[in-house]
Amino acid sequence: MLSVNRLRIAVLLGCSVLACNVTAQSAEERGLEIMNAVEAQNDGFVDSTSSMTMTLINRSGKKSVRSIRSMTLEVPGDGDKSLSIFNKPADVKGTASLSYSHAIEADEQWLYLPALKRVKRISSKNKSGPFMGSEFAFEDISSQETEKYTYKFLEDAEFDGVRVFKVESYPAYKYSGYTRVVNWIDQERMVPVKVEYYDRKDTLLKILLMSEYEQYLDTFWRAGRMDMKNEQTGKSTVLEFTDYKFQTGLTDKDFSSSSLKRAR
Amino acid sequence: MRTSGACVARRIFIPCSSLALTGLLLLSLTVAHAEWETRGNVTLQAQVFIEDPIHTADQSENLSLSAESEFFLSFGDASSLTITPFVRIDQHDKERTHFDFRELLYSFAGDDFEFKAGLGKVFWGVAESVNPVDVINQFDVVEGGGSDEKLGQPMINVQLSREWGDLDLYLLPGFRERTFAGEDGRPRLPPIINTEDALYESSAGQSHVDTAFRYTRVLGDWDLGLHGFHGTARDPLFIADQNTGELTPFYYQNNQVGIDAQATLESWLLKAEAIYRSGDAIDDHAELVTGFEYSFYSIAESNIDLGVVSEWLYDERGDDASQPFQNDLLVGLRLALNDEQSTEALFGVIADLDGGGQLLSLEASRRLGDSYRLTVDASIWNNAVHDPSLAAFRHEDFAQIELSYFF
Repeated sequence: MLSVNRLRIAVLLGCSVLACNVTAQSAEERGLEIMNAVEAQNDGFVDSTSSMTMTLINRSGKKSVRSIRSMTLEVPGDGDKSLSIFNKPADVKGTASLSYSHAIEADEQWLYLPALKRVKRISSKNKSGPFMGSEFAFEDISSQETEKYTYKFLEDAEFDGVRVFKVESYPAYKYSGYTRVVNWIDQERMVPVKVEYYDRKDTLLKILLMSEYEQYLDTFWRAGRMDMKNEQTGKSTVLEFTDYKFQTGLTDKDFSSSSLKRAR
Repeated sequence: MRTSGACVARRIFIPCSSLALTGLLLLSLTVAHAEWETRGNVTLQAQVFIEDPIHTADQSENLSLSAESEFFLSFGDASSLTITPFVRIDQHDKERTHFDFRELLYSFAGDDFEFKAGLGKVFWGVAESVNPVDVINQFDVVEGGGSDEKLGQPMINVQLSREWGDLDLYLLPGFRERTFAGEDGRPRLPPIINTEDALYESSAGQSHVDTAFRYTRVLGDWDLGLHGFHGTARDPLFIADQNTGELTPFYYQNNQVGIDAQATLESWLLKAEAIYRSGDAIDDHAELVTGFEYSFYSIAESNIDLGVVSEWLYDERGDDASQPFQNDLLVGLRLALNDEQSTEALFGVIADLDGGGQLLSLEASRRLGDSYRLTVDASIWNNAVHDPSLAAFRHEDFAQIELSYFF
């Protein structure tokens, strides 16, 4: 499975960088092709677990820290299933959320409230809302299927000493908080290194920098750090990821509303 | 299981709670060196009662301190132990000064089943106002603050998880009596509730073994539940003493079947819980709670969400119902600022549609720093004098402030 994926990436990249450049490929087709290659790079990860520390920094530099453990299950042909367990701040310790992400239909989401032992199905409509009071919206951190956007290739450029593709994406979701998102894609590793988010008035809202990439199982790239700066409020949020593990043997049963109650 | 552990003799409440606190402290020290995971809170509560009562408890302010901590120990992948002691020390009310194990539960999770034994806590239902389908645990009513607090229920539970859904089977050996505010407690009914001499329909009394099942399934946008219960009803009837006026709880036998369902459709949550109860001591009847929650997200390009909640509460017995919500409407507003401090507020009115009173309640909370949370509550019984089921509370309006430290 892995080797097939690598072959697919090679074909896609070969096409986009070399051959197709000279044919009459539209900017939309090229944008989709690049983003498909980004997504394909991640095919076959099967499952992963990781820990995340989220630091909220306000305008005066005051920090507040959240910590979350996550498990993700790849669902071939659909969005991923993910389960997150909150550890900090202490008043939400033990709270857990389960999400089935879908490319086209609405996501499915459940929340477990440990004090009440209650599992609540919640609306997934609010994708533009902030995640835990941070500068990340739910739609920024949910799984990114190419079907969730339409694309347009802008230009080849250079960012931080590496060659990048600049691809603009337009959310298909009508309640998205953005009119457009500009992605800087590292041409060699085919991963995003910078993202600009434009609000509903098409004004620059946020800039995300993704860095400290590491490769797992010789295949899958994961950013170790994400810096999101809100250009309108001056607030920022830093995500730091540790303890990445892949293909740990998780199954559908670890991502059910009843498994949510015993998630640790 | 008359009451929990060492605190059977309620009159010696101070030694009892000291014992409980010492136990909690020792447990904390012991677990500090093992692979236990802990989480919990210590909460200081201050209450102010606005009017003089129509009963003998004469305080208008009350202070109270409570602590709850969950200790979780995993024995490898499959089995675990959860111990959740709770203790409250109350300035005035001896009944409210109490200790309980919310959980003392062994769990073994297999590939497609889970086995649990011990004292446990479960939640069934979808509604926001009351949950008629939620019958496993007794409510710790003396805790106040809505119907959230529950006593640990002795249970053996097997859950089967299959393609066709989840099936839970329960054996419930041992009954927990409902707690009520004591003579010096507020808010309370004017008559004293004699919890020492509770009566039972079953000759087995508290030892009656109850049984229950619940089947749940997610079908697309729908979360569905079906349940059955056979045994001692958690909500007692009361027998009045002609001489003293005291009320003695009478725990009757009943059978209950019911369904609960929620449809999650973008901004709409549609909810229903319906039960049918039968027994020799009650009129066979249906109860229903149904309604919706609609959310306005990111109001005016801000991060603020506003939810509108409405539910209709119905009991087929009408004025003969043993609970106050026989034909009532909840209208509520839920505000979430989605800010760094997770500031949120819930305001609700439950109005009697048969021309009776209204119960108004407000709950608002905000995180302070990383480990504290401030919560403000208020409950007001409006027009209660015209409503037989609320009249007793007409002078019990109160406001409460809580500061919690979480760990």
